[in-house]
Amino acid sequence: MECVITIELGTNAVRAFAFDLTGNPIASMKGSYPTFHVEPDYSEQDPEQIFITMLYVLKNLLNEKIRPQKHKVISICFSASMHSVLAVDKNGVPMGNVITWSDNRGKKEAAALNASSSAKKIYTATGTPIHPMSPLIKIAWIKNNDKEKFKKASKFLSLKTYIIQQLTGRYFIDYSLASATGLLNIKTVNWEPDALDYAGIDAAKLPELVPVFHSPGKLLKAYQTSLGLPAGVKIIIGSSDGCLATLGAGVWEEGKATITIEDSGAVRIVGKKVLQDEKQRFFNYLLTKNCYISGGPTNNGGVIFDWFAKQFGEFKNAFDIEHSMELLINEACKVDVGSEGLLFLPYLLGERAPIWNANARGCYFGLNINHNRSHFIRATIEGILYEIYSIGKTLQEHRSIKSLSVNGSFASIPFCAQIIADMFNKPLYVSKSDSIGLGAFLLSAIEMGIYKDLDEAAQTVVLPDNYKPDRQNHSVYNNYFKIFESLSVKLFDEFENISNLQHKKG
Amino acid sequence: MNQFFLQQGLSKELELFPHIVEIALKKNNAIRLDSLHATSTNSLRIYYVIDGKFEWILHDQQYILYPGDIAIILPGQKFGSGKGFLDIGTVAWINIKIEKLESGGNMIPGKWSGLSKNESQTIGKILMMNCSMLHIKLKEAGAIIETIKAELLNQHIGFTARVNQLIDELFILITRRLTQQNNSRRDFPQTFLQLEQTLRQRLYYQWTVDEMAALVGLGSTAFSEKVKNFTGFSPLNYLINIRISEAIKLLKRHETSVTDIALETGFYSSQHFSTTFRKLTGFTPSEFRKNNLAKKEI
Repeated sequence: MECVITIELGTNAVRAFAFDLTGNPIASMKGSYPTFHVEPDYSEQDPEQIFITMLYVLKNLLNEKIRPQKHKVISICFSASMHSVLAVDKNGVPMGNVITWSDNRGKKEAAALNASSSAKKIYTATGTPIHPMSPLIKIAWIKNNDKEKFKKASKFLSLKTYIIQQLTGRYFIDYSLASATGLLNIKTVNWEPDALDYAGIDAAKLPELVPVFHSPGKLLKAYQTSLGLPAGVKIIIGSSDGCLATLGAGVWEEGKATITIEDSGAVRIVGKKVLQDEKQRFFNYLLTKNCYISGGPTNNGGVIFDWFAKQFGEFKNAFDIEHSMELLINEACKVDVGSEGLLFLPYLLGERAPIWNANARGCYFGLNINHNRSHFIRATIEGILYEIYSIGKTLQEHRSIKSLSVNGSFASIPFCAQIIADMFNKPLYVSKSDSIGLGAFLLSAIEMGIYKDLDEAAQTVVLPDNYKPDRQNHSVYNNYFKIFESLSVKLFDEFENISNLQHKKG
Repeated sequence: MNQFFLQQGLSKELELFPHIVEIALKKNNAIRLDSLHATSTNSLRIYYVIDGKFEWILHDQQYILYPGDIAIILPGQKFGSGKGFLDIGTVAWINIKIEKLESGGNMIPGKWSGLSKNESQTIGKILMMNCSMLHIKLKEAGAIIETIKAELLNQHIGFTARVNQLIDELFILITRRLTQQNNSRRDFPQTFLQLEQTLRQRLYYQWTVDEMAALVGLGSTAFSEKVKNFTGFSPLNYLINIRISEAIKLLKRHETSVTDIALETGFYSSQHFSTTFRKLTGFTPSEFRKNNLAKKEI
């Protein structure tokens, strides 16, 4: 049987999937790699370790699951986390680790640019909010703080650019991933001169821009040999995890939104037009020309529930967090909707959309003498989801949303999915398989001519809604949400003061 | 518990146990100046606080120990009181001569011990890796020292075997407690990251699964399963990943010879390095280096 392989270079791990040509997953494998925090605001990964892990996973997938079944690999399509930056020297050798999306070292640079007159122009042109996550800010940070590296760097790459260059020998970046760098003009689909100026580089320092369907060339001979793949296997550059998760969730028409919650989370919509927000709260990323994926990201997704479970969950066996979370969810189920008035602001990691406040902090509010441990559990989960709802609600100032598609390990917990349906008061379906991998398969399938375009491809994954909203619950949530929303902005000064004190202490 | 003091060479109870230098329990009712200056010996000393509060210097750092706490002083490490005297209270101790304990953690307790070679190595490694933090709560230690004393004095059938078993047990308990206190036992990603950093710091070393598991405070089976679930790889394959990615960095830098890189990154030989590297990347290390060199000239 013929098959397509997708490789997802994710935040913590590389995941490889094999799909048959109708889009059914037939095999998968993963390999994880660590993130290093050499300083509190730093998040880095080792590019060689990611490359080797990717090779190892791909080789194991082929040897253990593809070849024994006599499947024939037609193409390999890539996806990757957004916003990574890797400087390489004139020989193409990495100068240190790759800086990942969650790195916050560029706080000062971001604040300075935000305060300047060019901020709005750059945001409007590039579609990427001005924030330390943005490669524009990261490169500016290197320029200001690591002059030696900035001078010696011959190119600034995305992680995916590096991995594909290792495999094929050439430097490319797809429009889609490039649209999340803060350096690409999303209308002209060229590097934006104002942004390049601010970063202090010219276009030659960046990889060549290509469409998501582009093939960067054949696998180098050595990798053909070690992986046992013929020269004819087509490599497809693919897109970013965010855009492909949206495609793979089947959200491709107006009136639909997709909610992804893993460690972090996002609410996204698709449109033919850029979403112009006066307050610059949303990103607008490109999948293909004139196809925009807009929305808002949160820092505080499942990672907050992880934190809660580690601190307050029961651990019968060492490290068995899955079991601990199950117990917590069972306990949360027993508490009334709205946690009897206990609210939780989940901003343990600061926040991006919609308040874009790095100083925001967590907070339990409304505590009374009748609240017990179970209320805390439910309030924590509800707080994470109120935040998702607040992103969705701001999006609805621009577009109407009729139904939702939900994916990601946290959002797809049935208890959470029902709360999301109730908060939004919209029907939703939970995607079954890994939507990033499926999105990458759909790209390959379009490239191969199986589907004529993105619309047709996305339609193949539409599923029936399997969660219906409960009107009564919605009105309970809605009343509490008003307080949640007003607290999230009202505490602005207090957030800043406490964050300053915390920094002093550290 | 009554006071006692047995010392090698003086106490005939220790004749059959040349590795026990000293075992004692002391009730200190009054402060005697100059009774405890900081000294180092070539035996391994374990002090257990029964009651009172003791301010001790361990490895040049001042600590306060409370009842139920033990301090482990490795051969050559300093131990004593900053004030020069023993605080008021009750303390028990045992001094054991260890045949070998190298700074890298290679440990041979001696013929008396029933620990296997691997186990001794792992225990030695964990002691050395925690060498500046060797004070822990270990209530069981008091009972063990007390039982050793009783066995020594009573000399019931089987006592030689029991005394030695009890010393082994003391080592095992200390090691397990050390690894468990280092880890929350809740946060596997964090614990695994610490392990990875330890491995990277000593990549040249031939780590075994048992050693890695012990560092994390898990049994080997549970450890392997956790690692496979979390990383997608077996512990040894994960280690190969790190070895090869470090090797790639060194190969690209053109400073170290391929043979040296092989050893630095923990392969048995350049042959082993070459085969493993080629299996994964399709290149031999030298080809890989040449390839990068060729690119350099373009």
